[in-house]
Amino acid sequence: MKLGYAAGVRTVVELELKQRLRSKSWYIMLAVWFVVIALVTALAAYTASASWNGGEADSGTGQLMFELVAGFVLLFGLLVAPALSANSITGDRSGGTLAVLQNTLLTPGQILWGKWVAAWVAALGFLVVTLPMIAWAVSYGDVHLPAVPVILLMSAVELGVACAIGVGISARSSRPLFAVVSTYLVVALLTVGTLIAFGLSLRFTQEEIVDYEVVNPKDPYSQLEHDPETGRLLGEDGEPMTPVEETKVYEELDAEMQNYVYNPEDEICTERSYERTIVHTERTAWLLAANPFVVVADAVPVEPNVYHQGQSSYSPDGPIGAIQVGVRSAQAGYDGPNCVDGERQVGPAEDPRDLAPMWPLGLGVQALLAGILVFSGRRRLVTPAGKLAAGTRIA
Amino acid sequence: MPDATEPVALEPVQHDAGIVATGLARAFGAVQAVKQIDFAARPGEVTALIGPNGSGKTTLLLMLASLLKPDAGTVHVGGVNLGDDPRAARPLIGWMPDTLGVWETLTAREILISIGRLYGMDKATSAARADDLLQLVKLADLAAQPSRVLSRGQQQRLSLARALMNDPSILLLDEPASGLDPGARIDLRNLLRKFAGEGRTVVVSSHVLSELDEIADAAVFVAAGRTVRNQTVKEADAQKRRYSVRGLDHEALLDGLTAQGVPYTVPAGQRRAEALVDVATEAQAADVLRLLVEHGVSITAFAPTVGALEETYMSSVYDHESGGSATNPEETEK
Repeated sequence: MKLGYAAGVRTVVELELKQRLRSKSWYIMLAVWFVVIALVTALAAYTASASWNGGEADSGTGQLMFELVAGFVLLFGLLVAPALSANSITGDRSGGTLAVLQNTLLTPGQILWGKWVAAWVAALGFLVVTLPMIAWAVSYGDVHLPAVPVILLMSAVELGVACAIGVGISARSSRPLFAVVSTYLVVALLTVGTLIAFGLSLRFTQEEIVDYEVVNPKDPYSQLEHDPETGRLLGEDGEPMTPVEETKVYEELDAEMQNYVYNPEDEICTERSYERTIVHTERTAWLLAANPFVVVADAVPVEPNVYHQGQSSYSPDGPIGAIQVGVRSAQAGYDGPNCVDGERQVGPAEDPRDLAPMWPLGLGVQALLAGILVFSGRRRLVTPAGKLAAGTRIA
Repeated sequence: MPDATEPVALEPVQHDAGIVATGLARAFGAVQAVKQIDFAARPGEVTALIGPNGSGKTTLLLMLASLLKPDAGTVHVGGVNLGDDPRAARPLIGWMPDTLGVWETLTAREILISIGRLYGMDKATSAARADDLLQLVKLADLAAQPSRVLSRGQQQRLSLARALMNDPSILLLDEPASGLDPGARIDLRNLLRKFAGEGRTVVVSSHVLSELDEIADAAVFVAAGRTVRNQTVKEADAQKRRYSVRGLDHEALLDGLTAQGVPYTVPAGQRRAEALVDVATEAQAADVLRLLVEHGVSITAFAPTVGALEETYMSSVYDHESGGSATNPEETEK
């Protein structure tokens, strides 16, 4: 008797999916999910609609809805995937069916692949259910279309990573509850832990520098001088103005400001120095790489005009774009001295768009983590079994 | 009972078929479930594995089924050394565990077909074999039911069918009769005899000794993780046993026994005309009966007080246990 590798995997997947598809809880979960996502999407649509905003609809509504749905899918997917995967092998172990599988021609690898694929397919069901919402968002016509398949694909990949983590832990552990909780903790480590680590790491990237004040000849406000004691404007005689004089000056300035557009390159460094602390986010931005949201957001092509309005001000329409802009800025190190040797330093050192994308690193770290967990779980599936966890029965 | 005259030999000569396990030991943490077990089972025979709870029966069967690695010792199954190539032995082995693992939402038929597929059968072959086996274990009516609605006895029969999916030449059955009704027990007995008749190696562990008496060709007794005794049923029959003799008339029965010089005891508190005699062999038992009949005693019943295997169990395992070395590790027996 011979069992092909793929045939064995396929049979395990079938066994697993048949069981899932026949349990009611699965459909209830999907239904609840659908309702939640529909509510989120509808709320986004309503808040951006004309009736909410006093007669004028927001631009970028579709993009916002789309990114909101995508973000929710990833968030809830990461909540659901551990539950779907972490019980797959531990459950069989406690139900007595694992040993039955092990006693056939199946190899540990086939069992792991099969369980993983089945868990992933089940998790992808949740992604599929949200497609109508995404179609709704796209119907607004302002969604940056190249982003759609990339977000869906990357979300699917991230769910796959979460499922692999769950299956690996499941293979390792003998108690279902332990496996589920551990998987949640590892996923939380990636989503929340990376953020915390990045936040804490910033303390170590601080630097005290001497910086210089800048003035902008085109910006009348920047040329004003204030009295350090009263906070009032200083007149040309160097004396603080009276409130009446001040108001008049402001009115004149406002008139001048009508056609003013801020551009940092117009600014000129002064001799007035001061000390301040800058944070070198670029040194530890890599800590964020393994965050699933960062992996997805970083890989997504953002509408060109998000970066359009000048290098230091981006205005993404939705959360995914915001995450991308935030991470890219951190990566570029936006916080530098204003002036070096009397020269105005403009914007981040590098253009965020030119930076090497971070998601391959993040995905690599995640894959490595999942791989280690699955591989160490595989050792527990090898028969004849050597070491068993205390108190476990093999059958 | 074919080929039962020779005592079970443990020489490596037999490695080409059946099961030969020597010097097995296995610990679970601090608990030494199996200390020193030698086990052999030959093709064409039903070998009973007998021992009290926690004696290491299930652990032994797990090692024979290639699921558990022995700490020491070797196992050859169907000529394959499990230490070298456990995977090569899998197609030969049909293992029925003592715990019932069923995929609850799958139907009996689906479970069997899936298992067949995991042995590399194509869908049609697997389905055909599943239907045959469902017929064999009398579950054909319930084939389309989810397995969770099956009763314990029905699940047990499904589990047996599952163990047979790969048409194994080595059958390892861990307490197969538990939960079965009397009719199903008889079916099981006939099945196991049939398998042995087809030249398969059948190993059955059970507590119900009277049942094994009728089907086993050989028995291995284990206690406290050790082999206490290897015995063929011929040997068991040949051992010293106690027979109960009943006659119509108590006085005539005792007179007859005295006249023929047969030592006897009378069971206390027994109102019927009964005497107990110890005989060394079955031949001697036949002699005693013949002499009594020739003496003109009216005999109504003449039979061993207990089954042959029970006699051995009482004389070897029970004595061993009473010696105080028995432990009940939870890892090996529920």
